[in-house]
Amino acid sequence: MPAAAERAQTDAPNAILVSAGAAATLRLTGAWRLAFVERITDQLAALKPPKEFVVDGSEVGEIDSAGALVLLNYLESAGQSTPQLTGFAANEQRIVEQVRARLEAARAPTEHHRERMLEGIGRRAIDIGRGLLGDVNFLGATVVGVAHSVLHPRSVRLRELTVQFEQVCLNAIPVVALVTLLIGIVFTYLLGLQAEQFGANIFVVDGVGIGMTREFAPILVAVIVAGRSGAAFTAQLGAMKLTEETDAIRTLGLSPMDVLMLPRVIALMIAMPLLVFVGDLMSLAGAMMIANSMLDVTPTTFIARLRDGLDIAHPLVGLIKAPVFALVIAVIGCRMGMSVDRDTRAVGMATTSTVVQSIVSVILLDAAFAVFFQELGI
Amino acid sequence: MKERPETILEVDSIVTRFGEQAVHDGVSFTLQRGTLTALIGGSGTGKSVLLREIIGLQRPTDGQIRLLGTNVWQDTEDNLNAMRRRFGMMFQDGALFSSMTVAQNVAVPLKEHANVPHALLDPLIKLRLAQAGLEPDVAEKMPSELSGGMRKRAAIARALALEPEMLFLDEPTSGLDPTTARAFDKLVRSLVDDLGITVFLITHDLDTLLTVVDRVIVLAKGKVLADGTIDDILKVDDEWLQSYFSVRTVIDARGEPVS
Repeated sequence: MPAAAERAQTDAPNAILVSAGAAATLRLTGAWRLAFVERITDQLAALKPPKEFVVDGSEVGEIDSAGALVLLNYLESAGQSTPQLTGFAANEQRIVEQVRARLEAARAPTEHHRERMLEGIGRRAIDIGRGLLGDVNFLGATVVGVAHSVLHPRSVRLRELTVQFEQVCLNAIPVVALVTLLIGIVFTYLLGLQAEQFGANIFVVDGVGIGMTREFAPILVAVIVAGRSGAAFTAQLGAMKLTEETDAIRTLGLSPMDVLMLPRVIALMIAMPLLVFVGDLMSLAGAMMIANSMLDVTPTTFIARLRDGLDIAHPLVGLIKAPVFALVIAVIGCRMGMSVDRDTRAVGMATTSTVVQSIVSVILLDAAFAVFFQELGI
Repeated sequence: MKERPETILEVDSIVTRFGEQAVHDGVSFTLQRGTLTALIGGSGTGKSVLLREIIGLQRPTDGQIRLLGTNVWQDTEDNLNAMRRRFGMMFQDGALFSSMTVAQNVAVPLKEHANVPHALLDPLIKLRLAQAGLEPDVAEKMPSELSGGMRKRAAIARALALEPEMLFLDEPTSGLDPTTARAFDKLVRSLVDDLGITVFLITHDLDTLLTVVDRVIVLAKGKVLADGTIDDILKVDDEWLQSYFSVRTVIDARGEPVS
């Protein structure tokens, strides 16, 4: 059997107008197939048919419904709404008739709904408003749930909690450790470049200690967790929503809040401070390495200086922020997951939205914390 | 009409194993052009796996498949791509692209693989929808707004876009109400009769088997257990087949005899 490309060479369709006296015939040859519709359209457009003519399909190689559509459209535009078709083989005739029966549907106009700008802005505003309202609602329900869990520790689903804890904490340690180690090195290096000029090498330890433990480690960990666990929560719950698993949970008399969300929220709230602590240690370790080789601050001196220069309040501030960040990320992740509706595309959009919302919220919160602790004088 | 080879699909001694578990142990059959063939078998007999192997989504452990003159697992990628434009596939739940409207879904193959003049694109999409039995106003809807039956029809419209010589359907009537399912059977039959498309479908629907299908291939224990018209299949003395068809009284269930 010749390949499609070869057939294309040999079977190019033609429309030839033959006039014999008063009677004109439009003779079709070649393959009137979808692959050639462009050529067919051009050929037909070049013809100047008389008022009355007969279509002769006896020499047509083959015709498919796309070819038939072009032909019938042309015949109608040439004033032949009930054209005389002759010579088609039975199967070709059936295809032409099949298309003719659907000609009206094929011509139905398309109603494109283009959103106007003002309409778009309004719609977005309503969406955002509803989203925020939903967030607050969800946050409230989660806080109540968490409080209930704290008061009644037995009601916590321990199995699900440990599974989640493994995923959001233990499995996250390598990436958190690597990222904070590298940032610790880079930060110390940049600080060191400046401090060296004044011979103030030892004060790099103070700067790194405060900067990393109070601000950078919590923020870095929060960004990693938002991308890792927040997105995972949304994708997991979204997929469960799509397959109606969350509905199944409800009909079994359980609440998705207890079974799915609280274990995730609580696991993340426990995991975050631990991860931030890992981040603190690793970033200081990175700082210690580069301080030793670049600034002639030996590890012993580094640790001694850290003890004198780094007030315990700074790491504590970082660690206190962590569970709050965790709560926000987990709530956004779970809520976006539960907002997925019927549509596979929605899972992807919700996941993206989770990451963006989480990171923005965390940074806003961090700024609020900075002002708050400033006022408290910590 | 140009002469075309009568055999459109050859499945030759297909063996499929997943680890220890043998799903197919030498499955062979051929399909003739212009027929409507159904593949049946109990759960776990590898119907869907076989279909995926035929259309080149999953490699069989051993055996040959020739579809539209192309060896599905040995030919060059160029030949395979050319061949892929000549068959259509409807997945069980439609597999419509959820980020696109129905019209855009149907337009994907047309835009990618055919040189359709811009003015013709819209009528051609509407024609495909009509051929799949959908109203033109469905065109601008998103897949998530459609009912199950409409999603399947939209999937057929997309599969028909390039006017394939062969169409594969995975459980076309599953999850549809009986009225819609029978309308779907008529639609599939008309694709074979009016457009000359060869259809190969997997089904569990006895009504489909008893009314519109030309030929039934029964898959059991890794082999083709029976192959023939529905009347032939009903005569086969096999426990599973007997119980399969005994679910309803066959004589009563038959409507118009298949012509």
